[in-house]
Amino acid sequence: MINTTLKLVVAAALFAAGFAPLASAESQGCIAVTTTAEIEKEVVNDKGQKTKVLVPAGKVIPGTEVVWTVTANNACKLASDSLTINNPVPEHMTLVPNSAFGPGSTVTYSLDGKTFAAAEQLTVQENGVKRAARADELKHIRWELKSSLQPGASAFGRFRAVLN
Amino acid sequence: MRSTRLLVAVGLFALCGLGANPASAVGVAAGTNIDNTAEVTYTVGSVSATATSNTASLTVAEILDVVVTLQTPSVPVTAGATQQEMLYRVTNTGNGPETFRLQMTSTLGGDEFDPVAASPSIYFDSDASGDLSPGDTPYVAGSNDPVLNADAFVTVLLVNDIPAGAVDGNRGFSRLLADARTGTGVAGTVFAGQGASGTDAVTGTTGADSEATGQYLVAGVAVSAVKTQAVADQFGGTRPVPGARINYTIVVSATGTGSASATLFNDNIPANTTYVPGTLRLNSVALSDGADADAGEFSTTPNARVRVQLGTLTQASGSQTIQFAVTIN
Repeated sequence: MINTTLKLVVAAALFAAGFAPLASAESQGCIAVTTTAEIEKEVVNDKGQKTKVLVPAGKVIPGTEVVWTVTANNACKLASDSLTINNPVPEHMTLVPNSAFGPGSTVTYSLDGKTFAAAEQLTVQENGVKRAARADELKHIRWELKSSLQPGASAFGRFRAVLN
Repeated sequence: MRSTRLLVAVGLFALCGLGANPASAVGVAAGTNIDNTAEVTYTVGSVSATATSNTASLTVAEILDVVVTLQTPSVPVTAGATQQEMLYRVTNTGNGPETFRLQMTSTLGGDEFDPVAASPSIYFDSDASGDLSPGDTPYVAGSNDPVLNADAFVTVLLVNDIPAGAVDGNRGFSRLLADARTGTGVAGTVFAGQGASGTDAVTGTTGADSEATGQYLVAGVAVSAVKTQAVADQFGGTRPVPGARINYTIVVSATGTGSASATLFNDNIPANTTYVPGTLRLNSVALSDGADADAGEFSTTPNARVRVQLGTLTQASGSQTIQFAVTIN
């Protein structure tokens, strides 16, 4: 899963040529989005080494760390600009601190889904005192792609969260 | 001289019965679905668009966990006593409803005697009285195995008889084991599709079984009373003639590891003598003859007697000295 997605991102970089974007009705439906839930599993590879692989998560017990991946693929012949992925932290789950990342993206967080900022800039008012927000209070994640997403290319955002 | 020996069993702690623990839940309830949908916004040229992902879904699997806790650390008993109970609590510390099996073992090492299982030997404390009472339901394995929701508990009584040969200070251990009907095993053992709502069941840190061991302690206490008398006749001598006065002194003391509660000293006024009003004393403190707030009284019904309430006596209480006087008729 990781490998495949990384290849797609590399492909996106290769396609970084300037298509002149055209405004048309074709813009709707250009981006296909998929979400996956996976868990890390330790396996022994053919060289006898222990490695971790991601396997699809179906049934999980509380305390399990789940890796969520959102992949956006440009299915159109035109580049997409200002691509932004928004994903709430699923209910009954707690975000693993600093776990959200996305190649070529700026990651920001939000408490309420409205105001997005870097995690360390978010604050919570508690008993009249302002304090830094905790990871379990970050309820939304946003990935903003810094460059255009070329036709056929994919971008992804990933985060980890623990089942409460 | 007179001596009495009493064996006194100390009462059990009163404890609560069925209910839910205030403790926090182990996690999200088994069978819960965790859904996630992402949204993407973008522009092509100057036109904005939005795309929504599929909904990725997880199902929360069931954790099988149980904790047995002893509620009566040491049960004071007397040798030969029957139907002596120990109180335990079985708590479902998993995240879904589960059925548990119960098992008692009383043949354990490290103690001085083996308690003998009563029949039946496991009861639910159905009336939440904390002790064995007529309202309590016997446990029958496979028939009324307790079904507990996440975080719920049931209070269980183990009932044993104490061998007659046990002596003061002897201990006898008894153990309650509870295990999940779905299955047990090292943490992480999976029972596919056997959890709540058809999800997987997975053993938690307890391995889905738990046990706790309690002890019976033979705690006897012997209360003895030693009575002495001194005669003073009206002529300055010590002859027991009519009109002579007899001063009685009784020393009451407790020995052993237990405690004697509500100890009552009672002494009938000997035949052919008459109690001398106002002579009753406890530890040199005068007690009034009336049945009133102080510990002592003299009464004539059903027969002439003096009584002194000594309360709870232990070996540490020390000896209690009672005095009173009579005259010979």
